[in-house]
Amino acid sequence: MTITLSGVSKVFGDFTAVHPLDLTIPEGSFFALLGASGCGKTTTLRMIAGLEEPTGGTVLLGEEDITALPPHKRPVNTVFQNYALFPHLDVAENVAFGLRRRGITSVRKQVEEMLELVELGPLAGRKPRQLSGGQQQRVALARALINRPRVLLLDEPLGALDLKLRRQMQLELKRIQTEVGITFVHVTHDQEEAMTMADTVAVMNAGRVEQLGAPDELYERPRSTFVANFLGTSNLIEAEITEAGGEELVLKATGTDSVLRLPAERCAAPDPQTGGKLLVGVRPEKISLTHAEDDDGEGAGTQANGTGARRGAVNGANGEGNGGADNRLTGRIRDAGYLGVSMQYVVDSPVCPEFSVYEQNVERDARLTPGADVVLRWRPAHTFALDATQDADAGTVEEAL
Amino acid sequence: MTTTGKHPGSPAATEDPAPPPRRTPARGGTSAPAPLRWLRRNAVVLAGVASLCYLLLPNAVVMLFSFNKPAGRFNYEWRMFSTDAWTDPCGVADMCGSLGLSLQIALLATVFATAFGTFAAFALARYRFRGKGTGNALIFLPMAMPEVVMGASLGTLFLNTRVAFGFVTILIAHIMFCLSFVVVAVKARVMSMDPRLEEAARDLYAGPLQTFLRVTLPLAAPGIAAGAMLSFALSFDDFIITQFNAGPSTVTFPMFVWGAAQRGVPVQVNVIGTAMFLIAVAVVLGGQIAAGRRRRRG
Repeated sequence: MTITLSGVSKVFGDFTAVHPLDLTIPEGSFFALLGASGCGKTTTLRMIAGLEEPTGGTVLLGEEDITALPPHKRPVNTVFQNYALFPHLDVAENVAFGLRRRGITSVRKQVEEMLELVELGPLAGRKPRQLSGGQQQRVALARALINRPRVLLLDEPLGALDLKLRRQMQLELKRIQTEVGITFVHVTHDQEEAMTMADTVAVMNAGRVEQLGAPDELYERPRSTFVANFLGTSNLIEAEITEAGGEELVLKATGTDSVLRLPAERCAAPDPQTGGKLLVGVRPEKISLTHAEDDDGEGAGTQANGTGARRGAVNGANGEGNGGADNRLTGRIRDAGYLGVSMQYVVDSPVCPEFSVYEQNVERDARLTPGADVVLRWRPAHTFALDATQDADAGTVEEAL
Repeated sequence: MTTTGKHPGSPAATEDPAPPPRRTPARGGTSAPAPLRWLRRNAVVLAGVASLCYLLLPNAVVMLFSFNKPAGRFNYEWRMFSTDAWTDPCGVADMCGSLGLSLQIALLATVFATAFGTFAAFALARYRFRGKGTGNALIFLPMAMPEVVMGASLGTLFLNTRVAFGFVTILIAHIMFCLSFVVVAVKARVMSMDPRLEEAARDLYAGPLQTFLRVTLPLAAPGIAAGAMLSFALSFDDFIITQFNAGPSTVTFPMFVWGAAQRGVPVQVNVIGTAMFLIAVAVVLGGQIAAGRRRRRG
């Protein structure tokens, strides 16, 4: 069932946890609220569950206003962070809890079916403390799902699991969501988790939704520095507009002569004017790295190496322009890290002190070692531009520290 | 989804871990003589046994002398074995009456102190209100106050407000001094409870009353039980405060024993003492066996 939050806010004393928020979560979707701790995502979830009373605004479930309903009267269930299983009840009674409270006495068959769904049948008689983290997580899920809620809320459901189990449970949750077909609202601080599972992600920062959209849209076209840095990594270059108005924006990186181009529609800043400042961004894996000796000069439209050709093909499939010259920067490798599937380079460039580049680990150029002079290239269609008045480091790990 | 249990035949099950290293003989060749080595190895156990003896010796004496047949009125010297006192525990005038009174007061004091104390503990642990800090500090005062001072002051209070001394004044006094212990025991438990469990209950269609009965109360139960047992024990054997607040016809068991000690202690007092001790041991053992069985079954 659709959840509609309109103007919902929450203030604790003099701290505003959630600024007035408008959000529509469509029926049957897997919706993720993504943000760092303290950004208001859990508070938002708790207001949907009824565990927190909004300071202002209304919460609608379908057409019904549920703002004033206490949690036990809402057809909504929650999988809590750290699960909150009842330690004095065994697994079967934990799962049966919701049914029993609604006066259903013959719960056995349903409990068995539900434990079957999460593959915990043989453990029905155990107490929660006798289960592993992954098993507890599945009990929590079964305990919520058995009530056939209209909406299932998940508060960092995988946060306490180790990496491998987390990956497995991500797929498992996605399968169960498809199977039961109810709306899932998932709160997480893990951007990878949000992108893997959700149809729609709302990135929250300091009590506000920064951007909302499909995972690929958020990643490819971030609209703020926070989203650009929080979802994956971005290289941001401060630049001045030299040509605006057409289909393409042409910029010059501040303090250099390097020319950067991007389609005007990929600019998130309102009304870019010649002489204005923008932050030009590109993702590290979009960049191709060549040794300076192999560089065929300015304005080369095609790329010699295999990676470049593949990128061209992807471009074509996206139907984006393939005509303009690549963006090109020069630099020197400061650091190279071997990650198995890829190589991670940090490149010193006049326009950006720490340029991140990921190269697929296919055919490595042995000369690409720290100290080597290199040329960075990427397509204008892979470039985005953001309003330069924001903090360029918002949402980075450094900022969090 | 794979199960996380161990499969027979998995590497962990087939590969035998290396046998634990043998206890190495004393280094340097200068091995101490055998008895000394044995002493060194078992010193902690010996110290433990000695402390236990120190604790339990008085109880053993009480138990032993409940089978005595003293010559005179004083049960201080061993004369001969007899079960007279055990077969006729109420053979002494007024003793069983005082025992009944003590049990009655202890039971009522436990019920009231546990109920009030539990409420107070929840308030102090869960809610924020003006005077919470003061309340938390004041709760400890009755425990810290010398009993004799508290008993005397309470007596003065009853005298000045013209409350007739008797059953009610004793009960009021006992509830008062038991209350602090219940609050402390229950509060510690409530503070350690995860508030998310109650949220989970509310989320799973339990109204406020159901949440309290099905989740809060069972979780707080060990703390409440500890408070109640403490209350019963404290109330049952209190002499000082009771002495100051009892009426002429309300003689509790401790008061009876005190009075009897002047004229000669009957063996039956030891019988009652031994019985109380055995009941307490049985309760503790029963609890432990039940907990052990629950753990094994799970």
